[in-house]
Amino acid sequence: MATFVLAFVVGMTYGGIVRKVTARVHNRVGPPFYQNFIDAFKLYSKTSAIHHGAMHYLGPAFLMVSSIVSLMIVPVLIPGGDSWYNTWFNNMNGGGDLVFLIYIMTFGPLGMAMGAGQTGNPNSSIGVTRGLSQMVGFEIPWVMALVALMLQYQTTSILDFINIQQQTGTWLMFSNPFAFIAAVLAMLGMFRYSPFDIVGAPSELASGPVSENGGKFLFTMMSSGSVFSFVKLTLYVDIFMGGAENLVILVIKTFALYMIPVLYGIVSPRYRTEQAVRFFWGWPTFIGLLAILYAVIF
Amino acid sequence: MDMLTLILVIFLGGAIVTWLGNKVNTVVGDLLFLAAIIIPAGMFFTGISAGTFTSLNVLGLSLTWGLSPLSYLFSLIVVGLGILAAIYAVPFMNGKDKKGAFYFNFILSIMSMLGILVSKDWISFFIFWEIMTWSSYLMVIINGKEVQKVGIKYFVFSAIGAYAMLMAMVILNSQLGSFMLADSFNNFQHLSSFNQILIPILLLVAFGVKSAMMPLHVWAPGAYGNAPMAYTSVFSGALSKMGIYGMVLVMVTMISQLPDGSMFRNVIAWLGGFTAAAATLWAITQDDGKKLLAWSSVGQMGYIIVGVAIGTPLAMLAALFLVVVHAMFKGSLFMVVGAIEKQTGTTDFKEVNGLIRKMPLTFISALISIIALAGIPPLAGFVSKWMLYEALIQNHNYILVILLFFASTAGFLYSYKFLHGYFLGQEEPEWDHVKEAPIGMVVPMLILALGTFVLGTWPQLLFKPIDAALQYAGYTSTNGSLWADSVLFSQWGDVVMLQPILYAIIAVFVFFAIFLFIKGKKGSTRYVSTKDISTSGEIPKEWENLTFKVNFMQPFERAIEPFLKRQIDKYYTAFGKGLEALFEFTRRIYTGNGQTYAIYAVIFLALLLLFKNNLFG
Repeated sequence: MATFVLAFVVGMTYGGIVRKVTARVHNRVGPPFYQNFIDAFKLYSKTSAIHHGAMHYLGPAFLMVSSIVSLMIVPVLIPGGDSWYNTWFNNMNGGGDLVFLIYIMTFGPLGMAMGAGQTGNPNSSIGVTRGLSQMVGFEIPWVMALVALMLQYQTTSILDFINIQQQTGTWLMFSNPFAFIAAVLAMLGMFRYSPFDIVGAPSELASGPVSENGGKFLFTMMSSGSVFSFVKLTLYVDIFMGGAENLVILVIKTFALYMIPVLYGIVSPRYRTEQAVRFFWGWPTFIGLLAILYAVIF
Repeated sequence: MDMLTLILVIFLGGAIVTWLGNKVNTVVGDLLFLAAIIIPAGMFFTGISAGTFTSLNVLGLSLTWGLSPLSYLFSLIVVGLGILAAIYAVPFMNGKDKKGAFYFNFILSIMSMLGILVSKDWISFFIFWEIMTWSSYLMVIINGKEVQKVGIKYFVFSAIGAYAMLMAMVILNSQLGSFMLADSFNNFQHLSSFNQILIPILLLVAFGVKSAMMPLHVWAPGAYGNAPMAYTSVFSGALSKMGIYGMVLVMVTMISQLPDGSMFRNVIAWLGGFTAAAATLWAITQDDGKKLLAWSSVGQMGYIIVGVAIGTPLAMLAALFLVVVHAMFKGSLFMVVGAIEKQTGTTDFKEVNGLIRKMPLTFISALISIIALAGIPPLAGFVSKWMLYEALIQNHNYILVILLFFASTAGFLYSYKFLHGYFLGQEEPEWDHVKEAPIGMVVPMLILALGTFVLGTWPQLLFKPIDAALQYAGYTSTNGSLWADSVLFSQWGDVVMLQPILYAIIAVFVFFAIFLFIKGKKGSTRYVSTKDISTSGEIPKEWENLTFKVNFMQPFERAIEPFLKRQIDKYYTAFGKGLEALFEFTRRIYTGNGQTYAIYAVIFLALLLLFKNNLFG
């Protein structure tokens, strides 16, 4: 439970900070960094006047399920220490492994797609098809990077990756740089900042899948999105950057990692979907193949 | 007459009696049909145990039938899916013509599949294989549509496979002197090395055709689409698994004795992986629910073939688990398409719309089956996919893992296309009259869909029979090392505990569903139709078309366009046209002119005289 609160708070704060950073880069003032909390509270207190059926209600619930179950699987802090952090944040470590995590991460968007579909808004459906196509795109280098790591260290458990980094003393980022580069390129697609934000293109599609959701629905989706971002960042930190011993280091590492897609995205235009998919099947896939070769040879 | 023979005789007799009864009165025909399926099935489940043998002497050939643990596993699918499809078929065929022929071929298919599974000698295997082929062929052309394009293509490919099997059978008999399956496997070493390679190839061609492995798959989309949907659930769920059963036999017994066996395995595994990826991409481009599911079946068979070809215990476990689970969710999905076809009259995505509120139970079975197909936890599809990936990684087939992951992720696209095409999206007034399918059609769908749910959390229910089958085939038991009571182990020390995960998922889901509902109910949220949506602040008019169906996956299709230009079907068609040109050329011998024939006779006599010394000397 505490992990959820942590993820929610940190995720929302990151979102707010990103809005501030984006604004400053665009030479605007921008909202304060706690803006996301204000938005969430406002959305929570609104009542939706209309709904489009039972699936419309259940769509955001699916999304929340995916985020929370992924959160339960990913170890937030390195277990084994005896500070008070670990007793609070020990979640279901060891209940699942990487392959399970990849699949549960796709459960949410699919459920959300269902809910968006029932509204009948063509913008939502277009957004969903674009999102799924892009997912096929970035999954390939992402899976290649993970498979390279799996076979280099003969394990699929995230805890084992953390332990290996503790034991050898170097981060996996440096042990298999190709895997890290491929995974970061895939991360650009995962977070859906430019140039891969055609899924929720605001002025073209009315934000795609979220177009018919307001009030409580949008609150659920926003919080699920922040929790999910936190989960993905923590996963990357655990696998590539050695995990985190306490909260401060976790925040610093995830924020540093988060800045990569954000800063790259602020100044990039948008790819069309087929361009995005072809991009992911080009250089990132090649680097993923190099990662696998590197893992096999060394 | 003992139990097995009795069961097969009841099936056969039941087929004929049902056909006659249908001529008398349709209700009598329905009741006889249900009796002809359920009575032998009941006898099968209660009376037969693995290991019983029976022998029959016909025309000097001895036919031996018996049930092995491996056959028992597959027969669960055949008989179980057969019963549910039969219950589904009665309301489905209500009011359609050709009911007698449908019932006859349906019962014969079930009988022949059971016969294949219990055959212990090649002769009865071949007899039942042929009965299965022509009864399914008659089903494919039962409505008389597209007989040439689809039916003949299916029949030609099946015939190629069957004759390859016949050739292999005859070679085995001439070399080893016996038609028994066990003799062929035990004495495989005594064959010449040329035969040792030739016979598995012939047998794999035969089994590959039935299980729609690329490049022998071209008959599948048309045939699955043309047959009535009540039969296609059995066709795709059980019949294609007969090819898998044969492949398991060949792979486990013959190829493991070959010195170059690993090359065989790699070739078949890569063909399977390519099938999975390519068929998934083709499924995304389809606009008809039947064809989409047919291509998806071909793809799932690719997964199973990869598992069977790799051959480690974990891979076989995954493949056999996927066999059963695929029969369940594919059977359910084809039943869904049949229900939609019955209620609306069409299965084209571009025409049907927004049925979610009108057919809610159908939607629920479709949703659960699609989630199982996509391999998402906590349903059963995930268990098999997880084990397959683990097996591939441990066997160092890294590129195959990437290929299968790609196929899985692309599977999400056609899963969404299927659900959106029929159930979601705008609701058109022309479908306002659609009601839920009759209860006899909905109950089997739901049973199959919920079965995947049960198997996903308690997979040990299925692991035990699979373990028995694997032990019969020569593997050591996997209980305790790879799985134990709902916990899956990976050999690298990581576990997936399925039950806590399921409870967590349900708890979170229910919590948030209640959270959203309660706040909604208190604040009097009202239902609005799909026309009342936010389009830049305007409410769309009644005549505005907001349905998004045409070119649904256009961005993705544009991305994979170079791949879609190449179709294996074109090679076969080109080969066929080449043969036709050759025949056209040869036809010219017959000119119809008497003088030409006289010249032929003179030339023939002249050649005889010229070479008479060589010929008769």
